[in-house]
Amino acid sequence: MMRPLDIWHWVWRTVLSGRRRSFLTALGIAVGIAAVALLTSVGEGLRVYMMESFSQFGTRLIAVTPGKVTTQGMAGMLHSTRPLRLEEAASLGRLPGMEAVVPVVSGTARVEFGKRGRDVEIFGVGPQAAEAWRFKVAIGRFLPADDLVSARAYAVLGHKLRQELFGNTNPLGQRIRVGGARFVVVGVMESKGQFLGFDLDDTVFIPSSRALQLFNREGLMEVDLVFSENTTSEQAARRIRQHLIALHGREDFTLFTQEDMLASLDRILRIVTMAVAGLGGISLLVGGVGVLTIMTTALQERMAEIGLLRALGTTRRQLLQLFLWEAVVLAGLGGLAGIATVVLGVAALGLLMPALPLKLAPGYLLAAWLLSAAVGLAAGIYPAWKASRTEPINALRAE
Amino acid sequence: MRWRDQWYFAAEALVRQRFRSTMLLLVTVLGVTAVVVLTALGEGARRYVINEFAFLGHDVLVTLPGKKETTGGLPPVMGTAARDLTLDDAYYLRQRLPEVYDVAPIVVGSAPVSYRERSREVLVLGTVPGFFEVRRLSLALGRNLPSGDWRRAQPAVVIGEKLQKELFANDNPIGKSVRVADSHFRVVGVLEGKGDAMGMDLSDGIILPVASAQQLFNQNGLFRLLIRLRPGVDNERAAQKIRDFIKERHQGEEDVTVVSPDAMLAVFDDVLVVMTLGVAAIAAVSLLVAGVLVMNVTWINVSQRTAEIGLLKALGAPAAVVRRLFLTEAVLVAMVGTGIGVLVGFALVGVLRELFPSVPFFPPLWAVAMAVLLAMACGVSFALMPVARAARKPPIEALRNQ
Repeated sequence: MMRPLDIWHWVWRTVLSGRRRSFLTALGIAVGIAAVALLTSVGEGLRVYMMESFSQFGTRLIAVTPGKVTTQGMAGMLHSTRPLRLEEAASLGRLPGMEAVVPVVSGTARVEFGKRGRDVEIFGVGPQAAEAWRFKVAIGRFLPADDLVSARAYAVLGHKLRQELFGNTNPLGQRIRVGGARFVVVGVMESKGQFLGFDLDDTVFIPSSRALQLFNREGLMEVDLVFSENTTSEQAARRIRQHLIALHGREDFTLFTQEDMLASLDRILRIVTMAVAGLGGISLLVGGVGVLTIMTTALQERMAEIGLLRALGTTRRQLLQLFLWEAVVLAGLGGLAGIATVVLGVAALGLLMPALPLKLAPGYLLAAWLLSAAVGLAAGIYPAWKASRTEPINALRAE
Repeated sequence: MRWRDQWYFAAEALVRQRFRSTMLLLVTVLGVTAVVVLTALGEGARRYVINEFAFLGHDVLVTLPGKKETTGGLPPVMGTAARDLTLDDAYYLRQRLPEVYDVAPIVVGSAPVSYRERSREVLVLGTVPGFFEVRRLSLALGRNLPSGDWRRAQPAVVIGEKLQKELFANDNPIGKSVRVADSHFRVVGVLEGKGDAMGMDLSDGIILPVASAQQLFNQNGLFRLLIRLRPGVDNERAAQKIRDFIKERHQGEEDVTVVSPDAMLAVFDDVLVVMTLGVAAIAAVSLLVAGVLVMNVTWINVSQRTAEIGLLKALGAPAAVVRRLFLTEAVLVAMVGTGIGVLVGFALVGVLRELFPSVPFFPPLWAVAMAVLLAMACGVSFALMPVARAARKPPIEALRNQ
């Protein structure tokens, strides 16, 4: 029975003695693991980026859209015979457990100040939109808490639109025209970026009632509701559903909880990451074949060594163990090198180009390292088995 | 040494070292097959998307109400704008512009449809009979929407197959009266298949005359306007004329966007090509790893055949010949491996096409060429260093080691 320490010494000595051979073998695994580690980092980076984009709106959010026919993603694109009215949205906001209600109407219009004008997407919302969607105001304030149906003609500019129309001058108190109608600017938002193809900076926020007039609509496209901390998602959904059925006479609307949206998005992205990791796995497979080949090929050189070990009384099983451990250590070293390269690379890229969606996930990295050891183990079985089957007399004679 | 002898020598050596040669072949085949199959997947997806877009025809333009100067986002696809694109706009566009062959105004929404006691909320598409031709739709039963001035509402409806089953089961729906929201419509036809109206499933929906749909939803504006141009007309010039025409009708305001599906397709195409390239690159990394293995194996080969090398040199073979002999082995393995890899790759792609006949999987030529070149390059160049070392060894040392 060999002491573990002896096994350890033996393995290390073997690995270090055939330095070039060991290096090249480990290199194969290193590249394969690096491919897997890099690709999972990219996948994870994308996933985190998308999840953050979605959850920026807060997690205690439920969206109600008119109609039961769902289009892929774009709520409110279809007209409805039973529209969601502004008064209904207001009453939903007064339900127990609701903290905020945001009625939503959007469309394109021309926004003008003096001689300057720009065609942009505009959003008709309520005074609680900034709070519900976690938007920060940079200058001034968001829309005042007027009654939803009779709100005054105030407007809040997005970061980019402010610059296009006003440059660096102060826009507060100025009169602008949105789709021909006059509004007074009361605030400017902080930069928020893009979300699902909508630029949230190159836009203006006006009260929904005015937007409904502007676009000549009776119904809202969406109503977002934020429920309080001590209400559960199910409770909130149930109350909303019951209330609207009472108002409309039937369930002719659709509810989306934030959890639904995040969960399905998360699922899709995890699958994408795994598929992408599978791609890297091809390189890893080739690396594994490399370990298998080199160890088997090198056996010929080590016949004398094996024969001697056997003659000295090493059992077949111990020989098997020794070779398996050698394969695992080689592959593990390669894996470590591959992971280290990727970690350094991602860190370097993170400094140079922070916009890239690359995120190291310790979970995936650890899995990748264990994977390298597993590949080594699998690859080492055949050569280890072959070595253990050698007859000592044949081995010694060949020398 | 004669060429033929070189090849025999190399082939013999390879056969002798069956295990090594097999492993080297295996990794080359793996790498090449991976590149071929994965790029075929990417290309298949790309061609599928192109076909889906292309069947709209190169001569169709889409006009969307609204205009955005915002760069980098979507065009105004929601269809909501401060100023409506009206049926009159569409009608006079067709009449006045010679470049326009036909137009199909579109309104979309959802509404409850009921027949007797059965009711269902479905997709509603308001359009004109010409829409069927533009989107290559056909009827399973009955007739198309009534022709005539489509600025007038008419109580006729074409229903989808799925809706037909839900509301009528096995009865004949033609001529029956259904209620859509609060209005009555007579079923004149049944649409065949899914209809595929921009990704929405029309088989669980209805098609109304556009003016009736506008009345139903109490809307004056259109969601889209499809414009079919006469053959031979330049898309860009026609798009500009359409913009100018509508601008004039809208008191000098240019508040519509005219998109050519060709242009949108070009954007998609770029994205998909880049994706396929990325996938190919990742798969190609495996060929690099294969190269590392070639280097490793060649080192071992060379060190184990030192005696052979020494003998060759003692017999008068110059270093160059020794190099060439070993390189020929590498070339042979690379060639056979690449060849088998390409064959296996195409075979797998063939299997994929059997399983998914609707997707045109095909490995693009540039990918196959790249895989072959890379496999050959890795297979040979990674063997260069160890082979050069072998050839440089003085014969006496080589013989003595044995």
